[in-house]
Amino acid sequence: MTTFAQNLPSHNEGVNSQNLGALPSIEYDLIRAHVFAALVTLVISVLFGILVATKFTFPEFLGGHGWLTWGRLRYNHTQGIFFGWLGNAFLAFFYYVVPRLANRPVLSRKLGWFLFWIWNFAVVLPGWVLVAAGFSQPLEWAEFPLVVDAFVVLAFILMVFEFVLPFLKAQLSDLYVSAWYIIGGIIFTMLAYPVGNLVPELIPGARGAAFSGLWIHDAVGLFVTPFAAAIAYYVIPATTRRAIFSHFLSMVGFWLLFFTYPLNGTHHYVYSAIPMAAQKGAIVASVYLGIAVILVVTNWLLSLRGSSGTVSKDVPLRFVWFGGVSYLLVSLQGSVQALMPVNRFIHFTDWVIGHSHFAMIGFASFMALGGIAHLWQRIPGTRYNERMMNWSFWLLAAGVTLMVADLTIAGLVEAQVWQSSAPWIDSVRAVGSYWLVRTLSGLPLLVGFVLFWISLVTGPRLSEAVTSASTAAVSENVVAFDNASPASDQFSSTGWLSYAHVVAFGAGVGFFALSFLVLAILPGKELEDEIKQVAPVTMPTLTASEQRGRVIYGREGCAYCHTQQIRSLAADVRRFGAPTEAWETKYDYPQLWGTRRIGPDLSREFNLRPRDWQLTHLYDPRLVVRDSVMPPYPWLFDGNPNQPTQEGLDVLAYIQSLGRARQLSGFDRQTLAASMQSETPEMSMASEPSARATPPGVPLAMMGGYSLSAPVLRPASDPDDLQEEVSRGGTLFAANCASCHGSAGRGDGKASASLLPKPANLTAARFSDERLSSVLWNGVAGSAMPPWRQLPAEDLRALVAYIHTLHVPSAVTSTPEAASFNVGKFLFASSCASCHGDTGAGNGPAAGALAPSPTNFHLKRPTQERAWDVLENGVPGTAMPPWQGQLSADERRALVEFVRSLYRTPQENSAQ
Amino acid sequence: MINLIVIVISAVMLALLLVWWRWPAFRVWIEAPKYSMLRQERRFDNQLKGTSTGNELFVDGGYA
Repeated sequence: MTTFAQNLPSHNEGVNSQNLGALPSIEYDLIRAHVFAALVTLVISVLFGILVATKFTFPEFLGGHGWLTWGRLRYNHTQGIFFGWLGNAFLAFFYYVVPRLANRPVLSRKLGWFLFWIWNFAVVLPGWVLVAAGFSQPLEWAEFPLVVDAFVVLAFILMVFEFVLPFLKAQLSDLYVSAWYIIGGIIFTMLAYPVGNLVPELIPGARGAAFSGLWIHDAVGLFVTPFAAAIAYYVIPATTRRAIFSHFLSMVGFWLLFFTYPLNGTHHYVYSAIPMAAQKGAIVASVYLGIAVILVVTNWLLSLRGSSGTVSKDVPLRFVWFGGVSYLLVSLQGSVQALMPVNRFIHFTDWVIGHSHFAMIGFASFMALGGIAHLWQRIPGTRYNERMMNWSFWLLAAGVTLMVADLTIAGLVEAQVWQSSAPWIDSVRAVGSYWLVRTLSGLPLLVGFVLFWISLVTGPRLSEAVTSASTAAVSENVVAFDNASPASDQFSSTGWLSYAHVVAFGAGVGFFALSFLVLAILPGKELEDEIKQVAPVTMPTLTASEQRGRVIYGREGCAYCHTQQIRSLAADVRRFGAPTEAWETKYDYPQLWGTRRIGPDLSREFNLRPRDWQLTHLYDPRLVVRDSVMPPYPWLFDGNPNQPTQEGLDVLAYIQSLGRARQLSGFDRQTLAASMQSETPEMSMASEPSARATPPGVPLAMMGGYSLSAPVLRPASDPDDLQEEVSRGGTLFAANCASCHGSAGRGDGKASASLLPKPANLTAARFSDERLSSVLWNGVAGSAMPPWRQLPAEDLRALVAYIHTLHVPSAVTSTPEAASFNVGKFLFASSCASCHGDTGAGNGPAAGALAPSPTNFHLKRPTQERAWDVLENGVPGTAMPPWQGQLSADERRALVEFVRSLYRTPQENSAQ
Repeated sequence: MINLIVIVISAVMLALLLVWWRWPAFRVWIEAPKYSMLRQERRFDNQLKGTSTGNELFVDGGYA
């Protein structure tokens, strides 16, 4: 630009005649107050974040009280960063920069203090307290409850008066780009905030999600990015004392950002039920945004050309430089991950969490820190401690680099596991070490932020302060332009382009409105029509208890780990069931689709797991899933999982209602039938199932968890191979089965206390291969035993081999006498056959109505002790009653011997 | 609709580039704010020094 400026016609008169008047006053107290509030809320928010991260490794940590549970802390972490840290930092910067750019003071000092109190004591503080107390809304970047949202909107209206009005009063024809970003950010966020926070409460399900998607991106694109960009555009020239490379490019970038950011929103819901046209539009806009960001950051970097020495010496500028480079990288990453081939793989994984931390720390926070440090050197009475500030920079740079790299790799690992048919918990196990590193990477960040704070309060006192800015050099192009300024003055006062700002602003508002039309209103209309055509006439609504449970589900942040959105992808359908359709969500106020999976999708929980499993899992997930990282919810129970409170019962009712409408509608029976036809070879009883036992295209959830037939999994016949299988089966048993069945298989695992019927005592019976195969493949209806057919066939076979080794034969062996045998046979026919069948195959007339099914004694031979115990006490939780009162001891002994005689060898079973 | 949006944005940006390329006065006008920003910055710096009202001229290499 030096060349350009030097080539301008020289008009030396004019500059001397410029009279810019007295300097406007700056509210330094408000700057200091907002900086202080920003740093206090930053440290608190980072502590929330570290607690949240720690709970991935130690789920029980501070898990006994609702106020400190993962979900609520997570809400407060992100909202604290958004409103507390970034909001206050940006406000501090506005008070510093608006008088400079508008050449007028902000509207009112009193209004400024009112805004300060509103922002911190009507938004941040009550927002945190209300969320911790359980009053929130489960919408991403909109977690503070509606009552707080009202104050947020009020605050933005006040910001318009405080910061935008001075620019309008000044009637500046040459508005600097930072001012544009400040004005645009305030006005567009004021408009977008109510839409993102209120509309999903009024418009349900998929239609509401379209609006949520817009706000998720608008929060970054209309609030965080403009203000951070305003800082960059100000700090770079103010520090280097050279004008930015191109104001023209900066304005092109500005409008491209405001045109394209709002259009990005739906890229959070690619492959969802939202119309494909809206999805593709958002993807195109995401690519366009990447181009815009290249333009913006190139302009910043070119503005720093020849200033590498200044960047390395001036810490605030270094913060801004790091923020700029991060902005480029994270935006390109965002553009790429919106593309369908990438999105299908990494969406819902930690990759996205890494992306958001990169944006909020690497970009936004570094910019905000740079802005604060820059102004701190230039307001009366404050200077920072340079050594401490340097340490802060390097710790923060190291922390965010480690965190982003770690989460990105963790995301790739999760994605890889999710693409396979491995059990969900395998993805949790696979990234456990990455979550630990993520937690550790939070420590340098925390220390870096604290050091930043310390550096502000331990700087040299005013008398020692060096006004370095005032002694810096000014480049020659400023002189050249000052000499040439009459040309621009004449142009701006007479040319039609003096109205360009108004035209451009109108276009910006138009594009903002267009984003809602294209990505929310039109797709919403399309969805509404689709729902009217497709939804079952008698679609059940939630009961009062289920509705209360839904509120608790949202309050505890369940939607931040469990999606309710099965995407139209083979990996999703295979694992969770049929893709979520818009009509299924027609009563969801607000939508709970979620944008992240740590646990599995819950859209098809109806009929999938029994009540006692769900309650035990809610009370303490690790009782039934050893390696789960889900938080416990003991405050939903009166001391043990058998005693849920009304809230616990409500959550249970809600979870068990998920997918009910879909299943009752019969939608999937046709799909299932079609799948069964096409997948017949893999679904039939096969002695050698495919390497991955899960039949593609026929998800467990589509059949309520139970398939029609199971392959027979026979352990190896070769002793060496068998030994290897047993060894591997032992490992698998410890990881997947021991929490219920106990480490020795005696049915006394930690979860057994709250499960009814109790987990099987695997030592007390001899099971056939067929029986074990069936149970592993199908689970046991009416019990907490889930199907495990998502495990590879070789794993299931290893489990069968290991379970055989658990059997402990009866201590007492006896051979029944013929008379006793006949008594047993007679008693069985008269008392047991109605359930267990005439031959003891578990197929009596009453069996069809019973869950769990009556024991098939052909496939299971209980020990004498176990059979005796069952006849004496029955099997609680099943239809098997105690027979102690009805049958004498001799009769029961005869029955024990009879039922044990019914067991058939594998060869006999095969022959049958 | 999406195609239309892409075409409109692209056309607006191309039009701006064309104006910038063909109309030197536009360049002067559009680049002016970056210098007035620096001018303001200097005025505030001088006020902090307590030496002037900030209406002095820039000269090459420093403040007058």
